[in-house]
Amino acid sequence: MVVLTISSRVTSGYLFSPEAHLYKLHCFSDRYAEGISRRGNQAGVFVTKYRKTRKPEQQDGESYLHRNDAHGGISVIAVAPGSPNRTLSVTFILLIALAVHGPLLLMQLPAGSYDAYVHMFFASHYAHHWFNPWNPKWFAGFSQTTYPPLAHQLIALSSYIMGLSLGYMFVQLIAVLLLAVGIYRYARLWVDETAASYAALGSVFLGSLAMLVYQSGQLNTTLGAAITINGIPYFYRWLREARFGDLLKSFLITVSAAAVHHLTLVTIVLFSFPVIWLALVDRNNEAEGGEASTVGILVRAIVFGIISIAGIAAVLLPFWISFFNNPVTQAPIPHPSRTNYLLNLHNGLNFWIIPYGALILAIPFIFLRGTRERRLQPLFLGWWITTLIGLGGTTPVPHWLFGRFYYVFTYERFTFLATCMALPFAGLLAQRLIARFNTKAVVALWIAAAATFAMGVAWLTFSPIAVTPFDTNPIASFLNRDDHSKFRYLTLGFGSLFDKVSIDTSADSVDGDYNTARLLPEMTAYGAAKLDSAKYYGVSGMESLRAMLKHASQYGLKYIFVRDRYYEPLLAFAGWRPAETYDGGIVTLWVKDDVPPAQPMDLGTKPAAWEGLLWGTAPIGVAFLALLAVLLIPERRPASVPIEFPSSADVVLREAK
Amino acid sequence: MSRVLLIITVALTILFLAIGTLSAGNSGPSNTPDGAVHAMMAQVQARNWNAAYSYVANTNATDLNSFISGLNGTNGDLRTFSNLASVRTRVLHASDNDALVHADMQWSTAVGAIYDSRDLQVVSQDGKWKVVWEVQKQPNVPPQVIPVTFLRWDVVTRGSGDDWGAQNVDAPHVRIVSMNAVDYEGGTVILGEIVNEDTVPGFVSVSATLVGKNGSTLGDESSFDKISHVLLPKEVSPFRIDFPKVPLREVKNVHIQPNSLLVPASADPTIGVLHQQLTQDSSGRRVLQGDLTNESGQTVNIPHVLATFYDNQGRVIWVSDGYVDHALLPQTPVPFSLALRDDIASRVQTYRVTVNQYSMNRQPS
Repeated sequence: MVVLTISSRVTSGYLFSPEAHLYKLHCFSDRYAEGISRRGNQAGVFVTKYRKTRKPEQQDGESYLHRNDAHGGISVIAVAPGSPNRTLSVTFILLIALAVHGPLLLMQLPAGSYDAYVHMFFASHYAHHWFNPWNPKWFAGFSQTTYPPLAHQLIALSSYIMGLSLGYMFVQLIAVLLLAVGIYRYARLWVDETAASYAALGSVFLGSLAMLVYQSGQLNTTLGAAITINGIPYFYRWLREARFGDLLKSFLITVSAAAVHHLTLVTIVLFSFPVIWLALVDRNNEAEGGEASTVGILVRAIVFGIISIAGIAAVLLPFWISFFNNPVTQAPIPHPSRTNYLLNLHNGLNFWIIPYGALILAIPFIFLRGTRERRLQPLFLGWWITTLIGLGGTTPVPHWLFGRFYYVFTYERFTFLATCMALPFAGLLAQRLIARFNTKAVVALWIAAAATFAMGVAWLTFSPIAVTPFDTNPIASFLNRDDHSKFRYLTLGFGSLFDKVSIDTSADSVDGDYNTARLLPEMTAYGAAKLDSAKYYGVSGMESLRAMLKHASQYGLKYIFVRDRYYEPLLAFAGWRPAETYDGGIVTLWVKDDVPPAQPMDLGTKPAAWEGLLWGTAPIGVAFLALLAVLLIPERRPASVPIEFPSSADVVLREAK
Repeated sequence: MSRVLLIITVALTILFLAIGTLSAGNSGPSNTPDGAVHAMMAQVQARNWNAAYSYVANTNATDLNSFISGLNGTNGDLRTFSNLASVRTRVLHASDNDALVHADMQWSTAVGAIYDSRDLQVVSQDGKWKVVWEVQKQPNVPPQVIPVTFLRWDVVTRGSGDDWGAQNVDAPHVRIVSMNAVDYEGGTVILGEIVNEDTVPGFVSVSATLVGKNGSTLGDESSFDKISHVLLPKEVSPFRIDFPKVPLREVKNVHIQPNSLLVPASADPTIGVLHQQLTQDSSGRRVLQGDLTNESGQTVNIPHVLATFYDNQGRVIWVSDGYVDHALLPQTPVPFSLALRDDIASRVQTYRVTVNQYSMNRQPS
């Protein structure tokens, strides 16, 4: 038997239609329903005593009823018979994510992405030198403290069991699964359980996620965002309820997220401010959380900010030392995400339309619903600003916000964050569509989601960014034998396979694939990212390459592996001569004979031993503590449980005392 | 409130998109003479050849294919390894119907940036400005047989396991026959000539170290591409080593290190230099002009001209170089032009031109 309590003040607060099993609520301006059932032609609705809760947003003909819960979210508590709207369990969503991404990751599809080998390269170094972040293999030596290490260290740990490549895929899978869980938890702050579950399911099929995982290989962005989003609900609860456990969890998760990627700091800011605003909107909602004062919320937000900044500063201290010793002063490197997408349709497709996919259709709904509901306005404005940033050079907004750092950032990651913020709205829209169109809507939504994801993955084929794969083993083999590693090498036209060669060989290169770590003046003085792809940066790229070749003797740069004949004239005129060919002539080795062996270089950036120790323990330690905190500190369970409507059980309605 | 927020955010979104698009797409109007040149060059930059050709006025004299090959290159010449990077224009003369626009074009090429200047006639046709684009007509050489009589040296190595260059034989004897250090634009330039005195070809390079007054090393550079690296027996090459950030007054000593290595080589292709003369170009600068003729039977894709200038005492006072952006077809003259520093032009007594080359299908190995 289900026992419901009903307020004595509610005497005519509902309208029940027994034929259609539809109801409409229209007098709960200061009450909200928590349960509904029927007995004969009567319906009973549980009404709380709390003031100023939001009025359930029931539309005529809608077949469900909401409740507020301890998280400040809204849950569907009753569904009319026949509606396919169902709250999907997190387990089901994770299984879907596993089914969709698991095979692609097991096929190691991201290995052909732009940056996957970069991360494997970093991880490979940690796997061999956990406590020594000095890596001589790129830029004639650089410190890996220039890049927060957590994702790379996780890959390194995984690689001990399953190898480097599969280790990368495993960590990427973790990121995808964490993102689905995070989106569910995050969406619950804004929408009810059903819509949140739809949002989480949508996260599996995000076009932007597909692009970042399978085209860009931005593991750190996806993992960092997933961890950040998982920490946001704890932050909200800390603001509302001031429980130390929530503060501890949100703090540890936030610091862990920062240890994945430096730009996660921007992610944290973009996701935190709407939630602070939401906590202020909800401050008088006592539903299972008690009232909170405005001052209290703001003070708790400041407390969280201070301790988080302190935590991030401490855990990533070697990063900050490196950052402040070598501030970003290099010439801006052009990136297509900084172009105007309206004027350059290909970039618009690549960086906005494909990542957004079917979510574009939801944008009018986001504007209408996001501006209409007070509780959704913070999320709407957060999404709107993030979307404007994600548009890159299409609007002046990112330039105004970031100043000179505008040229440091790339903007596809902001589109990814914007799509994550759009998902709660998409969940709401899906819920409404299903309520109205039933199975037709379900089919259409599945097709839209699958098409969005498929386009994101297939875009690799339509617009390939990676070079055609070729066998790099003979190149690594050459460098590893006969003391050839005494000299430094360069590749031209290898694309991301340069990183693979770097992993496989013990020889060092003057080139590298991580812009921030570049300190060699031949590279920082020119607006080109990588010597390997110098020609794509026009005059800057080729002048950078010329400058490097001019100083070949100083760097011990003897071997140049050329896969693109474009570079051959320069090498020929500069004194290199072809020596060997590999893979059926695809790659030619050019050699300069009068180059002396390379000498170790230290541009004053070698981290101290204590930095290596801290780097090897603090980030991974914080992540471990965050995991322990989430597992061991119990969450407060909601005091109310949704009941089915119409209930199959007898319901006793009684007056509240 | 909600409606106000909706209106504000939609309006701001449109405004931001408009600002971003207008500022990014501001390439100037094409209804002016220099605007037309810019518009055409923007299409060239984007390799939209048909759109670029729509700005050509003299379509009866310049067909689309000639227009494309003039800008996009043919025969594997330097232009085929080039992209237009930027254009600056200056209107020299303008009337209602025609104008003369000076265009300075910067090309990003496989050997670095090269610059090309043209005085373009622009005419008004049907109310629209168009560019009179002259193309260089390639003369048709009649079929002929060219006998191959050049010398060639091969090197027999011990086996494929040897490193390239590690022949374990004495290096060819090379010698620096002249050297001069000059002050140039606040930096130091080391000039000179190197000769292969041996009876076998040599692969040569020259590096220099500048030593300061307190004995410290001020810079360490090499001749890079300002030298002919492969020298046949008795052949002389100029070299030039730039130290752009080291003032000559700070230099006490210069250590020159010539390096040589025995390599296989051939005298082919032979490139003749004809009609060379010091003159002035249209902007009044002193230039060395002439024609290059490929006397062999195969195409030379990228010629590189090195000019050595001597004063009346026979000292090397400057070395200038430049890449020619057209391929040298057999027996077909191609003009070249090298800029000469105005401040030394009056001191130049004699000069010597040598030609280095890159041929796609003839790289020594």
